[in-house]
Amino acid sequence: MKPSRPALTLLAALALAGPAQAAELTVWHAYRAEEKAAFEKACAQYAAGKPGTTVTTLAVPYDAFADKITAAVPRGKGPDVFIFGQDRLGGWIEAGNTVEPLDFFLDEGVKGRFIPTTLQAMTYRGTVYGLPFNYKEITLIYNKKLVSAPPKTTGELVALAKKLTDKKAGRFGLAYAYSDYYYHAALQNAFGGRVFDEGKPVLNAPENVKALDLLLKWIDAGIVPAEPSTALITSLFNEGKAAMVFNGPWFLGEIAKEVDYGLARLPTVDEAGGKPMRPWMTVEGLYVTAPSKNKEAAYDLVKYLTDVPAATVMALEGRQTPSNKKAYDDPRVAGDRVLSAFRAQAETALPMPNLPEMSMVWSPATTVMNTVTRKAATPQGALDKAQAQVVKEVAGLRKRP
Amino acid sequence: MAGRPSHRLRFGVGLALAAGLGVGVSYLLLAAERRQAAAAGEERRAVVATQALAELVERAGRRGEPARRAVGAWQAGHDRVRVARVVALEGISLEASTAPEDQGDKAAPRRLARDEKALYDQGQRLRAAVAANKEGGAPKAEIEAQPLTGGALRLATPVLEEGAVTGMVQIESTPSEPAPRPPLFPAILAFLGPLVLFGLVSAVLGQRRLPLAFAAAACLALGVGAYALHSLAAVSSGRALAQQALAQSVQAEAGAVRAALSAVGLHEAPPLRPGTWDADAYRRPRGLLGPDGKVDEAAGASEAAAARGQAERALWGVAILAMALLLLVGLGGFQKLAATLVANRQAYFYVIPAMVGMLVLVFFPFIYGIALSFTDSNLYTINQPLTDTWIGLRNYGDILGDFGVARRAADGSLIFNYLNFYWTLAVTVLWTVSNVTIGVSVGLLLALILNTPGLAARPLYRVLLILPWAVPNYITALIWKGMFHRQFGVVNHVLRLLGSQGISWFDTPATSFLTALATNGWLSFSFMMVVSLGGLQSIPAELYEAARVDGASRWQRFKAITLPSLKPALVPAVILSVVWTFNMFNVIYLVTAGEPGNSTEILITQAYKFAFERYRYGYAAAYSTIIFGILLAYSAIQNKLSRATEAA
Repeated sequence: MKPSRPALTLLAALALAGPAQAAELTVWHAYRAEEKAAFEKACAQYAAGKPGTTVTTLAVPYDAFADKITAAVPRGKGPDVFIFGQDRLGGWIEAGNTVEPLDFFLDEGVKGRFIPTTLQAMTYRGTVYGLPFNYKEITLIYNKKLVSAPPKTTGELVALAKKLTDKKAGRFGLAYAYSDYYYHAALQNAFGGRVFDEGKPVLNAPENVKALDLLLKWIDAGIVPAEPSTALITSLFNEGKAAMVFNGPWFLGEIAKEVDYGLARLPTVDEAGGKPMRPWMTVEGLYVTAPSKNKEAAYDLVKYLTDVPAATVMALEGRQTPSNKKAYDDPRVAGDRVLSAFRAQAETALPMPNLPEMSMVWSPATTVMNTVTRKAATPQGALDKAQAQVVKEVAGLRKRP
Repeated sequence: MAGRPSHRLRFGVGLALAAGLGVGVSYLLLAAERRQAAAAGEERRAVVATQALAELVERAGRRGEPARRAVGAWQAGHDRVRVARVVALEGISLEASTAPEDQGDKAAPRRLARDEKALYDQGQRLRAAVAANKEGGAPKAEIEAQPLTGGALRLATPVLEEGAVTGMVQIESTPSEPAPRPPLFPAILAFLGPLVLFGLVSAVLGQRRLPLAFAAAACLALGVGAYALHSLAAVSSGRALAQQALAQSVQAEAGAVRAALSAVGLHEAPPLRPGTWDADAYRRPRGLLGPDGKVDEAAGASEAAAARGQAERALWGVAILAMALLLLVGLGGFQKLAATLVANRQAYFYVIPAMVGMLVLVFFPFIYGIALSFTDSNLYTINQPLTDTWIGLRNYGDILGDFGVARRAADGSLIFNYLNFYWTLAVTVLWTVSNVTIGVSVGLLLALILNTPGLAARPLYRVLLILPWAVPNYITALIWKGMFHRQFGVVNHVLRLLGSQGISWFDTPATSFLTALATNGWLSFSFMMVVSLGGLQSIPAELYEAARVDGASRWQRFKAITLPSLKPALVPAVILSVVWTFNMFNVIYLVTAGEPGNSTEILITQAYKFAFERYRYGYAAAYSTIIFGILLAYSAIQNKLSRATEAA
C-alpha cells in the first residue's frame, strides 16, 4: 500500500519542476571506443540544454544486447530509449509492449530530415517505430594503384577485372563475399529482386534467378576468387591482389596502411537494363520503449540526437554515417571522402527487410548461395527449394485461428 | 474410536463429501458459465453497436460535419453507450466525440492532444491489422475490446474507405449489471436427496460392504446426474435467450442507424446488412444471425450443440471425480492415507518446503515445457492457450524424421545441412567425447605430477591449476574467443610470428570446433585434476611399496594399483562431466556462436536458436525434450553399467 521511495521522489520531482521538464532518461546502446565517446557527448549536449533532465547512457555488450531488450523491456525493466538495427524491429513489434510507435509525434519537418530509405527501415506495416540514427551498406572500394577510374557499369567492371585478373599469380580483378546472401543482395536488388512481396516470401522470383545467373557468369569468367571468405578478401586486398572489393565501412579498419584506396558507387548492371546495384542497408534506430514513463521526454531526446548538431558529432567523432541528410551540408562531413562516399551509395541502397520472418530466410538463402556458387544446384532449383522451406516455416508461424 | 469402523458411517460420510464436491463444483461451473455468457453477450452487443456506428460513419462520409451530426444522432438513441469517438488517421484528428470532456474548446474536430496518443496508436494498430490479415500475415485482432471497471467495455473498430483503413470508431459502454447467480434450491435438493435416500436404503442393508458401496454409488449418480441435466438445460435455454436478445439488439441497432442516417439527410442505399455486425475479433460475421439480423436457427443449433458438448465433458469430469472421492472414503483408502500422514507427520512436515520448491521450480516448468513441445507456439501465438496451438507429435516428427543430413555437390564434395538434427547430434557426441577425453587425460596427468612425493610448492601449483575452474566460465569463454580473433587474437599473432598467415578460425567448421574444444578443455581439466588428486592421495603407500618389492614396473604399478583405486572417484566424475559437457551452452554460444552457418552448434544451443532467433517456441521445446530423453537414456545405461562394474 505504501508508495515506493522512487515513486515518491519522482512525484516530488514532478511537483517541483513541472511536468515536461524533470525527466531521468536512460539510454541503452552497444557502442564502444570512439562511437561511445561521441554518443555520450551528444547526450551530454542534450542534457546541458535541458535543465532538470538527466540522460544516463549504459553500454551493453553487443552479444547480449538483443536478448536483454527482449527480456527486460516488456516487463518494464528496460531503458527509455535504446539503439538497435532494424533487423529485430519486426519481432519486437509483434511480441508487443517493446517499441513505442512514433507517428503521433512525427511532423513533416522531422520526417523530412532523414534520407527516405532510412526512415523506411524504421517503418513497419505503415507505422514509424523509431528514428533512424545511422546506416551502413556496402560500396565499391578499389586499390588506386591498380584502378585509375572506377567502373560505372558492370560491362566496364568485367572488362577491367578481366584485365587485372591473373589466376596463376593469385590476382583477381574483383573480390567480394558473393556467397554471402547479404552481399549478393546488391546484385539481386538491381534486377528488382526481393525476398518478400507484400509480406509473402518470394525467394524464387524470376529476378532473383537472373541475378544468380549473372553471378555464375562472373564466377565462370574467373574474375572472382573461389570460396571468398572475409579473411581471404581482406588479405587479397591488402596484398594488392584484389583490385576492387564490394564491402562496407567495417572493412576500412582492416585495410593495411600502405594501401591507397578509393571509394565509389557500385556500378550499374547492364544485364538489368542499366539499373544500379542496390545493396542492402542496415539502419540503426533510436527507439522509445513502450513501457517508458517519460515517452515525450524520450522522444524529445531521440529527436535531438537525430538533429544536425548531434549527427555532426556522431559523424566526425563517432565515424558514423548519419541518417540526417542535412548533416552532410556541413563542409567537414561533406569533405570527408568516406562519409560522402557512403552517403552517395545510400541513394541506391535499399533497407533490409525488418519483418520478423526475415530470420527464417537467412539459413535457406545461405544454402542457396553455397550450392549455386559451387555448382551443386541450378539457381532456379535451389531457389525453389529455399522458397518451399521458407513458405513452410512462415506458414507455421502464421497459423489462422 | 475403538474397534472396527462402521462401513455404513464411512459410506455415508463418503457420499456426503462426494455429493458436496460433485454438486458444489457443478454449481460453481454453472455460475461461471453464466457470468461468461453474460460477459460474452455484453461484448457481442457492444461489438454490434461499434460495427453499426462504423457503418454509419462510413456512410456519412467518415469525417466532417455530416459524420459528426450522424454520431450525435446515433448517441442520442443509446443509453448503454457512454461515449462514442471517431478518429481520422490522416491529420491525427478527432472527428467526432460525444464524451462530456470533449465539449467547449475541446470539441471535435481538432487534432488529438498528446495525452490522447493511445487513441491514435490504436487506430494505427487496427489499420496495420487489417492490412496484415489481408496479406495473409499472422492473424491480428481487427476489433479491439478492453475491459473497464464495473464490466464496462471499450471497443474500437476500423473505418474503411475502399478497403483501406482511414480511421477508427471507439465506444465505451456503461457498466453492466452482474449476472444473477443460479438458484440454490436445485443444488441443495441434489445434495440432500441422495443422503436421505442412502440413509433409508442403508437401514435395510446393514453393514454389508459391497451392497453399501453400490447403493452409495447409485445415490451419488442420481444426485449429481440430475443436477448435471438441470445445468445443461439451464445453459441451453440461457443461450437461446441470449441469441434472441442479441437479435433484438441488432434490430434496434439497425433502427438507430437508419434514424441517424435520415437525421443527416442520407438514404439507406445500399440496404444495411445488420446481421454482419455480429462479428468476431477478425471482423468476420459469426454467421449466427442472417444478414437481415434474424436468428439463423441452423447455425445456432450447431453452435449450441458444440457448447453443450463442452459443458457435458466438464460435468462428466466432475462426476468421475466425485465417484472417485466416494470410493476412496467409502472403501477406507482415505482413512489409511490419513493414518500414515498422522503417523509420519514430522517427516512430512520437514519435506513440505522442499516439495513445494521442487513443484514450483522444477516440476511445473518441466511439465509446461513438455506440454509446449506438442504445440505450435511461436512469436505470434505465444499469447494463446496451449490447447489452441496443439499439434500433437508433429514437432517430433519434423525433428527426428528428417534424415537429409548431407547431399553430394556436382564436384563430388558433400554439402551438409547444418540445421539437421542428426548433424547437430553428431557434433554434440563428438564434442562430449573429445572434451571428456581431454579433461580426464590432462587432469589425470597433472594430478600424477602433483602427487610426486616431495614436490616443492605443491599448494601453489594446485591453486594455480584450479584457477581455470574458479573463474566464471563465460568470462573464460569470452577471453578465448578474443584470443582466436583473426586479426587481433593472440593465437594468430603467434602464428604470424612463426611465419604463417594466421587462420580465420571461425570460417570452417573444423577450426571453429577446435576453438570451442580448446576453451572447454581449459575449463574442464581442473575439475578432473582435483578429483584424481583426491583419489591418488587416498591410495595407501604400502600398496606401491609391496609392488616395488615384488619388482613391478612403473607402468605395471599404474595399471594395477592407481587406475583401479581411482575408479570409484573417476567414474562418477566422468558421468557428471559427460552431462555437463553435453549441455555446455556457454562455451559454444559465446565462442563459436555456431559459426560458420550453424555448423558447430550443439543440441542445447540449437534449441536456444530455434526458440529465440527463429521464434519457434513449440519446436524448441520438442528439441529440449529430445535432449532430455537422450540424457535420461544415457544415465539409465550408465547407471546399469557402473553398477555392473562395481559388482565385478
